[in-house]
Amino acid sequence: MTAPASARPVAETEIKRLEREQAEIVSIYRRLFPDDDLEIVFWQCDSPVWSAPSVRDGRMTFHPHHLSPEYLGRLRLSSGQAGARFRTINISIPRAPTPGEVRNADAPWQPVRRLGPLFNAWPMAYEHIRYQAEMRRKRLCRQRHSHQSLARGAGSVALPPPDEGGPDTSRRPAILIGFHWLEVGGAEKLAFDCVDWALAAGLRVIVVASVPSLQRLADRLPDHPDVSFIRLDRYLAHDLWPQFIERLARAENIRLIHVHHCVPLYAALAHLRVTAPWLKVVDSTHIVEHPDGGYPRVSGVWSNYIDHHHVISRELVDYYRDVFHVMHKVVLGRMLPRADQLELPALNMKPGQKQLRVAFIGRMYYQKRPVVMVETLRALARWAGRNGIEFKATVVGEGPFADTVAGLVKRRGLADQVTLEAANADIPGLLGNSDILLLPSNNEGLALVCYEAIQHGCIPLSTDVGSQAELVPPDLLLRLEPFGSVRDAVSAVDRLWRDPGFLARQQTELHERFRHIASDPTAEDILMPIYRAAAEGETA
Amino acid sequence: MTALTTTAAVIVTFNRSDKLMRVLDALDQQTQKPDLVFVVDNASTDDTQALVQTRAAQMPSLRYVRLPKNVGGAGGFHEGMKVAYAAGANYLWISDDDAYPQPDALERLLDAIQQFEAENVWRPSFACSRVEWIDGSLCEMNTPRPVWDWARFVQPGKAWALVDSCSFVSVLVPRWAIEKHGLPISDYFIWFDDAEYTRRLAKSYPGIFVPESRVIHDTPENKGVNYSLVTSKSLWKFKYGARNETSFRSREQGLVGVLSFAWGVRAQMKAGNVPWSIRRQIYQAILRGWSFRPAIPKAPAG
Repeated sequence: MTAPASARPVAETEIKRLEREQAEIVSIYRRLFPDDDLEIVFWQCDSPVWSAPSVRDGRMTFHPHHLSPEYLGRLRLSSGQAGARFRTINISIPRAPTPGEVRNADAPWQPVRRLGPLFNAWPMAYEHIRYQAEMRRKRLCRQRHSHQSLARGAGSVALPPPDEGGPDTSRRPAILIGFHWLEVGGAEKLAFDCVDWALAAGLRVIVVASVPSLQRLADRLPDHPDVSFIRLDRYLAHDLWPQFIERLARAENIRLIHVHHCVPLYAALAHLRVTAPWLKVVDSTHIVEHPDGGYPRVSGVWSNYIDHHHVISRELVDYYRDVFHVMHKVVLGRMLPRADQLELPALNMKPGQKQLRVAFIGRMYYQKRPVVMVETLRALARWAGRNGIEFKATVVGEGPFADTVAGLVKRRGLADQVTLEAANADIPGLLGNSDILLLPSNNEGLALVCYEAIQHGCIPLSTDVGSQAELVPPDLLLRLEPFGSVRDAVSAVDRLWRDPGFLARQQTELHERFRHIASDPTAEDILMPIYRAAAEGETA
Repeated sequence: MTALTTTAAVIVTFNRSDKLMRVLDALDQQTQKPDLVFVVDNASTDDTQALVQTRAAQMPSLRYVRLPKNVGGAGGFHEGMKVAYAAGANYLWISDDDAYPQPDALERLLDAIQQFEAENVWRPSFACSRVEWIDGSLCEMNTPRPVWDWARFVQPGKAWALVDSCSFVSVLVPRWAIEKHGLPISDYFIWFDDAEYTRRLAKSYPGIFVPESRVIHDTPENKGVNYSLVTSKSLWKFKYGARNETSFRSREQGLVGVLSFAWGVRAQMKAGNVPWSIRRQIYQAILRGWSFRPAIPKAPAG
C-alpha cells in the first residue's frame, strides 16, 4: 500500500522555516493576549511579505472555505488559567521570496496605460502632464487632508486617572524605534543611525516597521543582544498595535518611542498616552509631499501627542509653525556628520574648459524624475556639441525607472556619453571627478548628495523644491516644470562655463551656505540628550 | 517549496477504454499516488463509462467527469483542471489516456519541483516528465522546449533543464501557477493548447524537465509536429494547430510573429512536397487564426 502524495514527508528546511514563522507569531500573540487561551489557525499564503492576520473572540466555527487547499493546521495555546477567555487567530504564513523578488523591490516602471503612446512619442510631454497632475494634487492637498492637530483631552481633576502602574523597571530602559520599513531610503538611513545612537546612550533597542516588505536591510541592524526586531509588519494588524505596544512598553521598560514614518505608531499614541503615561515620544520627518503633505502632515496632526518633533531642514521648522502653529517642541537637527574641521575645495569646473562631466546620483523613482534627468543630459550634450566641448555623464542608481532610463539613453543616442552605474558605485570618487551634479527632483527634503557634491568640488544644480534653496544658490536652482527645468539647467551650465565672475560667485555662495548649515546642530546633537534622558529613566 | 502536496491527476480520454484502464493501473501503482484521479470523458461512445464505474469500486480516489460532447483535448483539459483545482489540489498532474507513467513518475516530479525550489529558491511553473515511445526512444511529439539558459541549474543527479513549453503528457502544475495564469483555452479544441498554456505559465518562471520521471506514450507512430508531414488524413489536426498557433503568435508577438510562423510553415510544407490543395487549407487556417482571439480563462474563484 503506497501513500498518497499529500502524505509526502515535508522537507527539513521547510519544517524549520514553518517553525521559525510559528515561533514569531506565537511570541507576538502571547504577549498581546497573555491571559487568554489561544487557538492559532494557520494557512499558507502566496504573498512573501504579509500574513493577513485576524483575531476573533471565542472559538471559530469552521466552514468549507476555512479548509481550503492552503489550510495548514492549528495550534492551541493554553493560558493555564481556569475560565480564561478564548480567542482564535487566523493567520497565513508567507512563502519564501524568490530571488527576483529579493533583487527587485519594485516592478519596472510603466507609463500610465492610456498615455503609453504619448510617452513613447514624446517623454517630456508625458512628464509635463504628470507634473501638472502633481501640482493639482498639491493645490487640493489642504482640502483633501486634515491639517489640524488632533485635540488631546486631559480629563477632569474631579476624575483623576486610575493608577496604570508602570513599566518593569527590573529591566534596563529601552527605546522603541518605529521604521517605515527596513529598505533603502533617507528616512531609513536616519532610523538606522538612531539605532546606533540609542545603543551608545545605553538603551536597549526594539525595532518595528509599519509596512510589510522583505525588510531587505534587516541585517544592517547591529548584531547586538540589546537590539531586537519584532515583525509586527508581517504578523499584526494595525488596529492591534496600540494594545501590543502598551504591553511591550510595560514588559520591556520602554521609556521612549521614536517614530520614523511609522503610521501605526502614530495611531497608537492616544492609547499609549492614557495607558502608558511614562512614555516620551519623538518623531523625525523629512519631506512635505505634494499630494498629501507626507509624514510632516501626519506628524503635525498628531502633534499634541508628541513631545519632540525632530526635523532635518528649516523648511520643516517653518511648516510646523505655519500649518500647525507649533514651535516650542520643533528641533532642527541636520542629517550631516559633524563639521568640526570644515575645508571645502574649489569647484572642479573651470571657465571655458574643454570637457563637461555631469553626475546624477539617486534612486530611480519618480521623485528623482529620471526622465527629466535624461532629457537634461541630452540638452547638455547638444550644448556641449555646439561649443566644441567633450560631454560625459555618469548616472548612478537603481529602482523601477532603471530600465526606462537605460532605454531613453540609448534612444537619445547618448550611450557613448552616458555611463550607467549601480547604487554601490564610488560616490566620492565620482563627485570628485564631476563638474555638475544634476538633481531635477520632483521633491526633496535637503538632499544629502548636494552636501557631498560641494565637499568634493562639484556644483549641484537642483530644482527649487523642499529646502534645497537653503543650500543651493538661487542662480543654480531650476524650475520644477519639466521643460523649464531642462532649459534652466542648460542656461546655468552655459553661464558657469562662460562667466568666470559668475562661477566664482557661485563658489562663494555655495561655501557660505554649506558653512551656515553645518553650523546648525546635527541630528545626533539633538537626539542624544533625549536618548540619554530616557536611558537614565530607570533610576528616575 | 510548500508543506502542502495534495495532488490530483487529470486524464482526458476519448474512446480508448483499454488504454485508459492501463493508465489507471499505472496510477494505482505509483509509489506516491495522486490523492484524486479525475478521468475526463469526452463523450466516449465505447465502454469507458462502464469500465471506469467498475474501477471506482476499488479505487476510491477515482472521479469521473463525463462531458456532454467531445470538446477536444483542450476542452477536456480545461474542464478537468477546473474541477481538480476547485477540489483543492495543491498540484495538478496532467496527462493523456494513452500515456503510462512509470511507478515513480509522480514521486520524481514532486521531488524535483520541491527540491528545485528549496535549493534554487525560484519557483518552477511546471515540471514535466521524459516521455518515451513504446520502444524506449524519445517521443517526438512530447519534446519540451528549452529556454536559452536551460542548463543554469543542471547538476549531476539533478539534470533539471529549464523549459518554457511541454505537452500535456505527464506535466505537474502547482496551484499558484493556475491561480496566477488561469486554465487552458478550451476553444483551441485540439493541438497547441498545451504549448500555449505552458508558455503562459512560464512567464512567471520556466518549468523544469525531469528526466528521471518517465512515461510511456503508446501512440501508433512516433512522429513530431511538422508541417512537412501533413496528409489529407491528418489535415484536420494540423488545421487546428495552425489556427491555434497563429492566434497565440498574434496575441504575443503581433503581425511579425504571425508572418514568421507562416514563413516557417511554408518552408516545412515545401520541404515535404505537401500537395497544394492541402497547403491552401493550412494557409486558410493561418488566416482564420489571425482573427481568432479566445479569452484566457481564469481559475475558478476560491
